[in-house]
Order: sequence, then structure tokens, then C-alpha cells
Amino acid sequence: MSARGTLLKFSPLLAPFLLLFVGGLALAVAQSFGLWLPFPYEGGRLDAYRALLQPYLLASIGFSVYVALASAAASVGIGAVLSYGVWRLPRRLETAAVVYKVPLILPHIAVAFIILVFWTKSGFVASVGHHLGLVDTPADFPSVLYSGNGLGMILAYVYKEVPFVVILCHAALKRLDPRLVQTAHMFGARETHVFRAAVLPHLRNSLHTAFLILFLYTFGAFDIPFLLGESTPGMLSIEVYNLYFRKQLADRPTAMAVLVLMLLFSAVFIVLYTKVAARLSSRERKL
Amino acid sequence: MKRTIALFSALLSLALLLALAACSSGPEAGKTDWRTKDFAEVEQAARGTTVRWYMYGGWEHVNRWVDNYVAGELKKRYDITLVRVPMDAPEFVNKLLTEKSADKDVGVIDLLWINGENFRNARQADALWGPYADRLPNYGKYVDKKLATRDFGFPVDGYETPYGQAQFVYEYDTARTVEPPATFEALLAWVKEHPGRFTYPQPPDFTGSAFIRQAFYALTGGHQQYMKGFDQQLFDANAPKLWAYLNEMKPFLWEAGRSYPQSSAALDTLFARGEVDLDMSYHPLHAQSKILEGAYPKTVRSYPFRDGSLFNLHFVAIPFNAPNKPGAMVAANFILSPECQLSKLEPSNWGDYPGIDVGKLPPDMREAFDAVDLGEASMSPAKLAPYAVPEIPADYLEALEAGWEAHVLH
Repeated sequence: MSARGTLLKFSPLLAPFLLLFVGGLALAVAQSFGLWLPFPYEGGRLDAYRALLQPYLLASIGFSVYVALASAAASVGIGAVLSYGVWRLPRRLETAAVVYKVPLILPHIAVAFIILVFWTKSGFVASVGHHLGLVDTPADFPSVLYSGNGLGMILAYVYKEVPFVVILCHAALKRLDPRLVQTAHMFGARETHVFRAAVLPHLRNSLHTAFLILFLYTFGAFDIPFLLGESTPGMLSIEVYNLYFRKQLADRPTAMAVLVLMLLFSAVFIVLYTKVAARLSSRERKL
Repeated sequence: MKRTIALFSALLSLALLLALAACSSGPEAGKTDWRTKDFAEVEQAARGTTVRWYMYGGWEHVNRWVDNYVAGELKKRYDITLVRVPMDAPEFVNKLLTEKSADKDVGVIDLLWINGENFRNARQADALWGPYADRLPNYGKYVDKKLATRDFGFPVDGYETPYGQAQFVYEYDTARTVEPPATFEALLAWVKEHPGRFTYPQPPDFTGSAFIRQAFYALTGGHQQYMKGFDQQLFDANAPKLWAYLNEMKPFLWEAGRSYPQSSAALDTLFARGEVDLDMSYHPLHAQSKILEGAYPKTVRSYPFRDGSLFNLHFVAIPFNAPNKPGAMVAANFILSPECQLSKLEPSNWGDYPGIDVGKLPPDMREAFDAVDLGEASMSPAKLAPYAVPEIPADYLEALEAGWEAHVLH
């Protein structure tokens, strides 16, 4: 069949895609250059991109990357170990282990609230600390949230995403022959060594996928930063929201420029990451 | 067979495109200019129509009042069906701007609840219909025209009509705090004595932004000098006093000023949980409604700062492409009626201060307004009035918000 025929057949899907997604993207790019704006705009073509160089936006970019990296790495690390643990469980306990899936069905915003309830200075953990006599008043409890290091958001993301990693890994582990691990044990390999040498290589693809998805999601997500984010540096999504909705109309091209930058960054990140991951695994095979 | 599928697909996608195109062109609305018509004629044309009112939907009690009282009365008096559509003001302004740039002549919004920079943004893009204010009989009878000519310093020019009034108050729990600070000078001393027990929402949050505006007035010699419009030299001379004040306070704020609550609701939560001792609101009955909700203890009271408490009007407006302009005009007129404003003031309904001048009402109506029990936590409009200061022109507002980010936050 000709290429044109295929295109024609896909057109019911392609037309809305082109119109809505590519159209929206084109609009965002155009508005970031100060074009197609629904209000008079006096700035120059590149002013919006120049505005990205303000120190606070640069700090915000760095901070978003850090939060995304930290949460994705922690989720993937904990998830990998946990999935191995679940896989090793006897069959009847394996059904009980569905408990780990609970955060999967919680919306992100609900997870943010859980973290709030537990970790604020007037929250559950601070009260327990107070009752145990660790601190004089609940307010003396060290700040976990809003202390400038993004810990609150990272906690929320890790809690929410670990089960996702576990599910992905568990599917991969189902295909792993348990005898491989048993044999390794028989030859006297330690647990950590078994994990590193037998299990981890088997999980590699799932972990890479999980890391990419989580990193990109966390990099751009809005809901958890809205509740748990800090004032400075702020997460990019919040800065974009502020620029677009809460400041002046003239700031809207800057908001669009940040969005375009985020899209480009994500695309470049995917390409680089897959390249590096592929090179690493091919080098391992040669060994 | 393959060819039929291809043909069918092509037809389907064509249909989709047509459907999308159809969305953007509706039937041409009546070309009548309702600004030139007699109001009796407007009322006649409004009969049996539907008015879609886009308004902020985050307050359950306000939604209830609009759905029951306003919708009920409009149905009874004018046979108008009111449909409330919850949407944040920046979002519907955005929608209007998009429709404006796409030349969409017939929109879906008839009435907006709007003020301040959202009004200015909509006006600057010429996305509102008017001037219509002086066409409404109740506007002529009850509105304080001097008060209603400017909205955050931006000329109203008859493109919106008053809905209600708000004034800034602070809230404290008498069980926790004996003597709360009532001037900005006292606040700084108090915050230093009670580290970690005060903060304000991060501008550009509405409430946080209002807080720094009041500090700006109080620390630089009053509001009068700013009323003439933006003056860069004056701003450059005075703003550093505000930054110095806020920076001096910063290390003693909640979380040592490293982070600010992102919204006034977040500050309310901190106050309710006892993490901070002072709360603030641009709604004078806020504390009372929080007590009724059970969120605050009954011992919470609200009060103004003696060196100035901002007040402003909030308004309704009609979009340039409102499909039902007569209906919107009748609704806007009803909103200005003493009956509607009285019902709105009742705290169990909403507790929003009147957008009309109570002094212009007949004596029996005035008594009815005075007789409304606002609850122990609130101060009456008359008691708040001596401290009232008007809103600053929007250019100052933006300069202050931007300056706060540059000099205090970062």
C-alpha cells in the first residue's frame, strides 16, 4: 500500500493531533517570540528568552532539574530493591504485598496532602517527636518541608513513584528464572552480589524506562510543587503559572519561552540519556 | 476494500474539521445596541432567556447563595435562568482574550465577576462590552459614583458595575495572643519578639500583595501621594524603605523567611493549626465564616491596622461577545438592588459588604442593613471605615510585586 494511503487512513487520528498538539506547540513558540498574542505587546522578538537569564529563573531551572533527578533516582533505586524483595516472597505473601500498590491509585495531590499532614511543624511526626520528649514543642522539630532543599517534594514523589517502579520491575522479574538466583546462592554469592550481578542487569531496561518517565514527569509537574514547593528557588511549573496568570500580560511571552525551553530540554534529555544508557550497556557486554 | 476504508477515513477527518470549524461560528447575535434602549425594553428582551455567569467558584457559601437566592429571584422577577459557571478570573479573561484575537463574535459568557488587574487586562484588550453602567436604574440610584470610577486606579468608564466591597483585616486568637500589633511599626517589634509566629502569603498572591501595599503606604507617609498615577521617581525614592522593613523582618518570619505560604488559604491553614499567630484576609467576615465552618476557634477576632486598611470594590462586567446582553444587564441591575445587597450582607448567606452606598437608601432599608448581625469576630463596615485607604493604581501594584521578588524574595 502506498504511503499516501496509510496517511489517509490515519487521518482521523492525525488531523486532531496536528491541529491540537502541533497547533498548540506552534502557538506557544510564536507567543514566546511575541507573535500571535491576543493583546498589544511592545517587547522585542527575543526579550522573552533574554528574560530567562534572570538569576532567579536560572536558579529555578537548576532546582527543578535537581528535584527531578533526586526523586527519580531515589524512586528507581528503592523500587528496584523493593521489587526484588517482593519477587523473593513466598507465593502466599505475594498477594499480601499488593499493599505496595496503594500510592499508585492516589492522585498526586492526595500524596502531597499526606506529606503535609505528616511532616509540617504542626504535623503528625512533629507531635510524636514532642510526645517522645525529643523536642520541647512541636514547633522546635526540624523543618522537613519548606526548608529550601526540596525535601518535601522529593518525599512526596518517592512515595508516589516507588510502586510504579516496582510494578515495572516486577513484570520484568517474572521472566527471570529463579534458579539463576538459587544457583548463585548455592555457589555462596552474597545477597548484594546476587542483586548486582544477576538481578540488576535483568532489570536494566525497566529501570531506564522508569527513570526517564519519572524524571520528565517530575521536571514539569505542577500539583505537588503547588502544595509543597518553596518560595525560592521555585519549581519551573509554578514560575510559569505565576508568569502566565498572576503577573502582567507582558510576562506571558516569558512564560511561553520557559515552556518551550522545558520541552527542548526534555527532548534533549531523552536523546542524551538513551545514548548514554546504550553505550553503557554495550560496554558491559564486551566485558 | 482498502480504497473504501481510505475514503471513509478521509470523510471522517473532513467531518471532524468541519465540526471544529462549526464550533467557532455560531448564529449572529442580534445587532441591537442595547445601550441605546430604554431599560423597560431591555427587561422585556431579557424575559425567558438564560444568563451564564462566570465567577470564581472556590467559596461554597457564595456558590450556594448565587444558586439559591440570585438565581431564584431572577427567575421569579424576570423569568431569567441563571447558570453559574465556576472559573478563576484570570482564566476567563484569558478565554476572552483568545476569543477576541480570533474575532469570535458570539461567545458563551454573559456576565463576569471581576476587578483589579483582571478588569484592566480585559479592558486593555478591549474585551468588555460597554459603557453600560449608567443604563442601569439601580446604578443611578444607589451607587457612590466617586468610589466606583476607579478600580485599582484604573478608570472604570462604565464597563463594570459594583457587586460588593471588601476591606483588609488581620485576625488573631484572643486565647493565644493578648495584644496583637495594630501598626506596622508595632508589627516589626512583635515579630522580633515572637520569631516564627508570623508570615504573609507570597506576592503575587492577592492577599500577600495587599499586605505589602499597606506596608508601603504606612512606611512612606500615606496613600495620598500615589493616587495621581505612577511616578517612577517617587517609587524609586520610597520603595527601598519597604524593602528594608520587610528584609529586617524576614529572619523572624515563619520558617525563618526561607519560604512563604503560596496562597492565603495556605496561611489560613497555618493559622488554624497554630503554626502562626496572625492571619490576614481581604474579606472582613472571613474569620466569622471560618468560625462557623469550625476551622477556627470561637475566640478568633478580626481588626484593622490603625495606619491603614485597604478597601476595594469588586464588580460584574459583560464580555464584548456576550450572547445575552439584555439578560446580563438585568442581572447586573438586580445585583445592585438593596434587597440583593442586604441578602448578600447576611453572614449566613455570604457576609459580603455592600457595593452600594447604604447612605442613599430609604430609612427603613438603612435600618435593615444596620440590623444585620455580623457575628462577634467581625467589625461592622462603620467601625472599619475610619481606617480605610483606597487601592493603589495598578502600575504601582506591579512595580511592588516585581520589586518584592527582586529585593526581598531573591
